[in-house]
Amino acid sequence: MISTPTLTRRQFVKAGGALVVSASLPSLSSRGSVEAAGSTLDATKLASWIEIHDDGRLLVRTGKIETGTGMSAFYAQVVAEELRVRPEVISLVLGHTDETPDGGFSAGFLTGANNLRKVAAYTYQALLDLAAGALNAPKDALAVTDGVVSGGGRRISYAGLVRGQRLELTIPIGGSLPALDPGQPTGLSGLTGLQVSGTPPTREIPQYSVIGESFPVPTVAERVRGDTEWVGDVRLPGMLHARMVRPSAVGATLVRAGSVDRARFPNAEVVTKGNLVAVVSPDEWEAVAAARAVAASTTWSDWSGLPGHDEVTATLRAQPWGAPSHERGDAAKVSAALSAAAKTVEASYEQPFTRHAPMGAYVAVADVRRDGSATVHTASAQSQGLRVQIAHALGVDVEKVVVRWHQGPAQYGRTTWGGDGAEGDAAILSQLVGSPVRVQWTIQEDLAWSTVSPAWVADVKGALDTEGRLSAVHSDWYAPHENDARLLGALLAGAPSVTPLATNRVSTVWAYEKIPVLERAFAMPSLGADATSAGLRGNIMRTPWQRQQNFATEALINEAAAAAGADPIQYRIDHTTNPRLIELLRATAKEAGWDPRPSPRPGARRTGGGLLAGRGVAVMIRSDAPWVAIAEVTVAPDTGEVRVTRFTVGLDCGKVMNPRQLRLTVQGGIVQGLGEALTEEVTFDRQKVTSTDWTRYRIPTMGSTPDIRMVITSYDDRGINSAGEAPNALPPPAVAAAIFDATGVPPRRIPLTAAYVKKLLSA
Amino acid sequence: MAEMTLTVNGATRTVDVAPDTPLVYVLRNQFMLGGVRLGCGMSQCGACAVLVDGREVRSCVTLASRVAGSKIHTIEGLPALWAEAREGTAAGGLHPVQQAWIDEQVPQCGYCQSGMMIAAVDLLARVPSPSVAQIREAFTDAPPSPHLCRCGTYPAIIDAVQRAARAMAL
Repeated sequence: MISTPTLTRRQFVKAGGALVVSASLPSLSSRGSVEAAGSTLDATKLASWIEIHDDGRLLVRTGKIETGTGMSAFYAQVVAEELRVRPEVISLVLGHTDETPDGGFSAGFLTGANNLRKVAAYTYQALLDLAAGALNAPKDALAVTDGVVSGGGRRISYAGLVRGQRLELTIPIGGSLPALDPGQPTGLSGLTGLQVSGTPPTREIPQYSVIGESFPVPTVAERVRGDTEWVGDVRLPGMLHARMVRPSAVGATLVRAGSVDRARFPNAEVVTKGNLVAVVSPDEWEAVAAARAVAASTTWSDWSGLPGHDEVTATLRAQPWGAPSHERGDAAKVSAALSAAAKTVEASYEQPFTRHAPMGAYVAVADVRRDGSATVHTASAQSQGLRVQIAHALGVDVEKVVVRWHQGPAQYGRTTWGGDGAEGDAAILSQLVGSPVRVQWTIQEDLAWSTVSPAWVADVKGALDTEGRLSAVHSDWYAPHENDARLLGALLAGAPSVTPLATNRVSTVWAYEKIPVLERAFAMPSLGADATSAGLRGNIMRTPWQRQQNFATEALINEAAAAAGADPIQYRIDHTTNPRLIELLRATAKEAGWDPRPSPRPGARRTGGGLLAGRGVAVMIRSDAPWVAIAEVTVAPDTGEVRVTRFTVGLDCGKVMNPRQLRLTVQGGIVQGLGEALTEEVTFDRQKVTSTDWTRYRIPTMGSTPDIRMVITSYDDRGINSAGEAPNALPPPAVAAAIFDATGVPPRRIPLTAAYVKKLLSA
Repeated sequence: MAEMTLTVNGATRTVDVAPDTPLVYVLRNQFMLGGVRLGCGMSQCGACAVLVDGREVRSCVTLASRVAGSKIHTIEGLPALWAEAREGTAAGGLHPVQQAWIDEQVPQCGYCQSGMMIAAVDLLARVPSPSVAQIREAFTDAPPSPHLCRCGTYPAIIDAVQRAARAMAL
């Protein structure tokens, strides 16, 4: 129910429930500690979302954050568009649980933008109502430019309309904030947060002026100047620095914690709870050096419950999978088509464990006070979910916990479910020592103990008719689940944690309407799930499920095209009716100079010296947007070395919010996906992860980055879409197809390392 | 503990820290310079890079005591460094490398970008107008390790380095 907007005399309210406050605005992240726990703002009150200040600036609050792909620009653009102001006048408060109303995860900007668009639209209508009275002109005769309303020959600014008063307006809200929920895959409900409902009048795409411009991302300049307060920069009075001493194996338990040599480290202390071991000191370097010494003298039980990375596929194959946890498609039709097929193409595909691997390791600061209240400083993309997990681990009411968000290294999905990270360590240690504690993981620790994107195997089968067309595709995808974002600190300390469920989803969007399909996803617990640390905790990673499943089905399409002797682009066009996808396939092919012919290329070979050239294509539909990728590679058959020489990507994501940022985000996603295509693999022995530095978990470098070209098709007949996800999913199937083209051997596993490709070609 | 005198971004200060403290911790915790980023701690990623006498150094593996007496610059000190190089003519503005990083909107998450800008300043001091191949070489093959970016901003960095080179040649 939407109330009638009314103005009352302004009163001081903590919740910022005012359209007027002051001329000074907090920056994107506010410095310093929080005095006391505070509740989330009342989302039904418009003023919890937007404040209009008397200097004409706007303060906008949302629980979503800036993940690095430009959300802080997009949110300002969306609000500015609806309110007819310039985005430069907007400041954002992001992610703090006590200063924002809505919560929700920051995976893509659309969930946040949809809320803010409606909030801004409600505000705009309220301001027009007020202006109609103030200007004594009918509402529909008013026009607004840059926050100034004109009508009846007079003008008044938004600031002038509300000066000294507060706007009372209630807006309809749906959804819920996170709560423990054992029935949910992640053990939490409400991760999408609150949604603004109703249908306030919003601008139509042809009217857009701010949306569609390359508005600079507000956080960029401060990062470049060195002004950003990163989560690792938070310092609280009396704060101790902590370094963790992790178990010797994934499931090892503490036998005896080492002790601190007082002569060398006079201010350091060892703190333990269960299998959680840390060294704290007021001086960070003392904590680092003392933790290394303590680690050397700490003893752990023996544990060797992992299969070792070379045994992953065999382990998955030996798993009793039971029924699929999710399936989509027409089983009867697919089964009938497979029985009637003139020919079938069948293949199994696989990928080992990979991980998010940001350049900065997890870091968090927690201040747990004697009264049980707690403030946690984080870079999590899910502050409200984290708040629930922290409260649960500490055994306090969620209302006693405040989570403050700060910029951090990008998270690529690992904190979307409201956990993973150093926050559990920090909160438990702070509770134990009675002081604020800053926990900085090392990169080695992060590459060993953070959550992973699980290994998988897939069996895909296609039915070909007598013409070589696909009459059905059946894809079965098997993997440990991706729902475990529990806090490592809570697990090791034996503190209460949520219970994730072993379920997976079919996440592909089938691009080929002419082919009946059955897709099934099977799930198992994490490898080493019984360990004290819960093993290799599976979690979502940028373009989750779809990234892996799409690799398998696109690889099969390429093998089917080859079996049919068809050009792989024309073969795709022949199996879809989606005009957007067909147009994009043609446009991307043109940009790449694609020469229509079947794969493998004439002269493809698997032996001999020199370099072979190949090209391959893959497509994906994500969030209703088609994507096309064409990879061009060289392969050295004698060494197996693959080089991607050029990558062309086409996308049609509807109205483009911010053209420059779209290009940068897509470009970055492609680079990230090339790492998954070529080099990335989490390795481990039977005890622990061994790919714990950048020489062993190998991500792309500038030198390995090819020329990336883009074809962007934008139509104004569809809404705005998200493009941060999808690009990283494109390189693996496109690069694999290009190797197939060059050598005549279809790779069925990523990463396409030199060693693997050499083995593949000599098999 | 040991007293050491460091000159950072033009200011000289004496600090009292453990003698084996790496420079990154002293810059972050004694000089309170948040532009210096702790990355891998093993000189494998370049996030912590700073300038010591104009050359890029990985502050995570450089003992603070070893650079006493040298001129240390972090990204916070780049505007003054540029103003000094141009005899004050550009005072108040950003270093052209920083301006190029903003103009090209290089950072995604931005965690690695302090080190990237430091590497760019180092490169442009030696090679005023680098080719794409020279930029790739500097960010990939120069010891002790490549400068790594997980968000994949490498193409934007190449554009920004070339933009900065043009601005610095004016």
